[in-house]
Amino acid sequence: MFGYLGKRSLHSVISVLGLLVLVFFLTRLTGDPSYLFLPLDATPQAREAFSKLHGFDQPIYIQFFNYLGDLLHLDFGESLRQNRSAMAVALEAFPQTLKLAVVAITLACTLALVVGSLAASRPGSLFDRFASLVSLAGASAPDFWVAIVGILVFAVSLGILPTSGTGTAAHWIMPIAVLMLRPFGLLVQVVRGTMIGALASPYVKTARAKGVRRQQIIFSHALRNSLLPVVTVAGDLATSLVNGAVVVESIFGWPGIGKLMIDAIIQRDFAVVQSTVLVTASAIFILNIAIDLLYAILDPRIRYQTT
Amino acid sequence: MRHRGVLSVACAILMASAAWPALAQTGGKSITIVLPEQPSNLEPCGSILTDVGQVLNQNITEPLTIIDPQSGTPEPKLATKWERVDDTTWRFHLRDGVKFQDGKDFNAEAVAFSIKRMISGAFNCNNLAKFGSAKLTVTPIDKLTVEIKTAKPEPILPTLLSVAMMVSPNTPADKAVNDPVGTGPYKLNAFTPQTVVLDRFDGYWGKKPEIEKATYVWRAESSLRAAMVQTGEAQLTPAIAIQDATNPATDFSYLNSETTAIRIDTGLAPLNVFRVRKALNLAIYWQGLAGLFGADVIRASQMVVPGINGHNPDIKPWSYDPEQATKLLEEARADGVPVNTEIRLIGRNGIYPNGNEALEAMMSMWQAAGLNIKLTMLDVADWNRYMQKPFPPERGPTLVQIMHDNNKGDAAFTVPIFYHSSGQYSTFSDPKLDIRIDEARDLTDKARTAAFQEIFAEVHDQIAPDIPMFHMIGYTRVGPRLNWRPNLTTNSEIPLAEIRLKN
Repeated sequence: MFGYLGKRSLHSVISVLGLLVLVFFLTRLTGDPSYLFLPLDATPQAREAFSKLHGFDQPIYIQFFNYLGDLLHLDFGESLRQNRSAMAVALEAFPQTLKLAVVAITLACTLALVVGSLAASRPGSLFDRFASLVSLAGASAPDFWVAIVGILVFAVSLGILPTSGTGTAAHWIMPIAVLMLRPFGLLVQVVRGTMIGALASPYVKTARAKGVRRQQIIFSHALRNSLLPVVTVAGDLATSLVNGAVVVESIFGWPGIGKLMIDAIIQRDFAVVQSTVLVTASAIFILNIAIDLLYAILDPRIRYQTT
Repeated sequence: MRHRGVLSVACAILMASAAWPALAQTGGKSITIVLPEQPSNLEPCGSILTDVGQVLNQNITEPLTIIDPQSGTPEPKLATKWERVDDTTWRFHLRDGVKFQDGKDFNAEAVAFSIKRMISGAFNCNNLAKFGSAKLTVTPIDKLTVEIKTAKPEPILPTLLSVAMMVSPNTPADKAVNDPVGTGPYKLNAFTPQTVVLDRFDGYWGKKPEIEKATYVWRAESSLRAAMVQTGEAQLTPAIAIQDATNPATDFSYLNSETTAIRIDTGLAPLNVFRVRKALNLAIYWQGLAGLFGADVIRASQMVVPGINGHNPDIKPWSYDPEQATKLLEEARADGVPVNTEIRLIGRNGIYPNGNEALEAMMSMWQAAGLNIKLTMLDVADWNRYMQKPFPPERGPTLVQIMHDNNKGDAAFTVPIFYHSSGQYSTFSDPKLDIRIDEARDLTDKARTAAFQEIFAEVHDQIAPDIPMFHMIGYTRVGPRLNWRPNLTTNSEIPLAEIRLKN
């Protein structure tokens, strides 16, 4: 197991480094940041001084070697916009996204497991049809639309929730509800599909014949054997949330890493782009390793080998 | 066991309820302002940027002079008066009894420090761009008098200095800061990724402001910002979209100093022919186009708004005359002008609300008049390649969508960059006009105003290097608790000291 973890970690480190190199050159291809940071009527001399001040006047390979040298000293550069360490900016935003993602994906998984399992236990029933309808709607509804409608209904018309922002428990409700809607819809479909197959398996028939209670058959026997595809899809969805929930963060004023990354790309704040990519890529690699380990826990037949 | 679980859930709900917000969070003499974007930083040297200026200007930091939005003339702020000693020297007399928020005295040495810091080049200073090539040398004469020399005559130095924010001598001179200390009526309490909080500064030299505390938050979505004011979560938000300005009691329009236009590339055929440029102006159904931007927009005849020194009220905007436009193009074609050449209409994504729709409408009207127009929408960086010199050599004839903001009180912030042959946006060279622009820049008072007015008239009637569209209108939602109205300067500053609370 430790050998596998070591090898997987090494692969991850190499991948992150490759990604950083790629991001470095791709960001530089987007053009001269002075056109975005200086006023439109800035003089050519002012643009030249800006480029010199930040080292953008150097050939790109020199800039790259300087960047690598700084990386060795764990210096990730300074945000052009915020006048402070780019890594500090990224690390400040990431926990905000992580908290949102963890709560949303946990709630979505829990609800989807219950709803999907119950729907699969009686395929074609009223509950099954209702669950399918709600899950399809959830998976299909555009989150920006749901968010705006949610604000209009719950904040403006009813006045029972704040429109946006952070600070209290109430501020969490709408962002999480919007964020979990799509994962919930997709996971209900996955759970339902795999559970219908599992509930038709010979071991379930045997359990029924032995008189095992219905809930125990569904949630103890069939569900556990249906979890692998659910974990795969949930892991994929969690990855996209950890990578930043840009729409939700933008609409609800949630200071997360997704919006930070998009803003940094648009504004050519290179150091922040690189730092946010490093943070999110590291988180995603850790998450993927955790999912691999979860496979092994859920299915004892899976054993990871180092060779 | 099951009861214990139910109890836990009930406790959790109760705890969450206790943490429930009072949804209208601000009250008393505190207000919340919701901005369209997060201030990128709080460096006073970047205060010409809207996101920075709306928090800092007139609140934390103050300049020596401010521009009167009605007349466009510089008025006293931290300088009480000034005089021109000779062509290149100005003397400023400073306000006595002013202290910075950190307790340091405001005096001639502080002015010298602030200006030297601004021009040092040690860090990126956006405000310096307003000074163009002006080189400043600051010399304290006595405690409250300072002389500023410029390398060449600078007749509007008091106007230029309205963007130079005075900062405490304790401010680092070699790097940008996010904890500004100025002489303004408010001091910085906190700057986090979610808010900026300003507290009233009790040692302020001027009248004590009514608002004790201001919290700034930011949301990009216009409808959300409007909703926040409606629900009482915030009391003021600038720059809401026209479709969100639905409540006449709280939503106020204001002329926002921005002028929209199409810049014509006069260097390439068929746009190098005056008749074609005139036809471009005459072919647009301006009344219909105005519907995209709100009932209050003003049809523009020049690139500065009324109230800016040099604006010429006698210039009449081009009217809608499609027959005349077609006739001019036919005449040009008969004279051998390649009128059928493809002209690229270059727009900028998100430049202003309904900007794409405006370009599509204009393109179809020009096509109806007989021109071959192709619309290309670009992001700001690509768009800028066509906007500023050096222009791409392979560009072909282009029309570029622009929006120009001049709220600094003088046409000198507009005319040279658009119409002087060395101007960054200029696509033509007229040596006689260059001389007149240079002369106008050296003039003062009424002679200066008249000179710029004449230049605008000549540009409009004889050159037509652009298609002025509209002087734009902004909309601000002001909550019912506040007594405050936006004006020409709102895009660059929201002075908290001017906000009053209703009884």
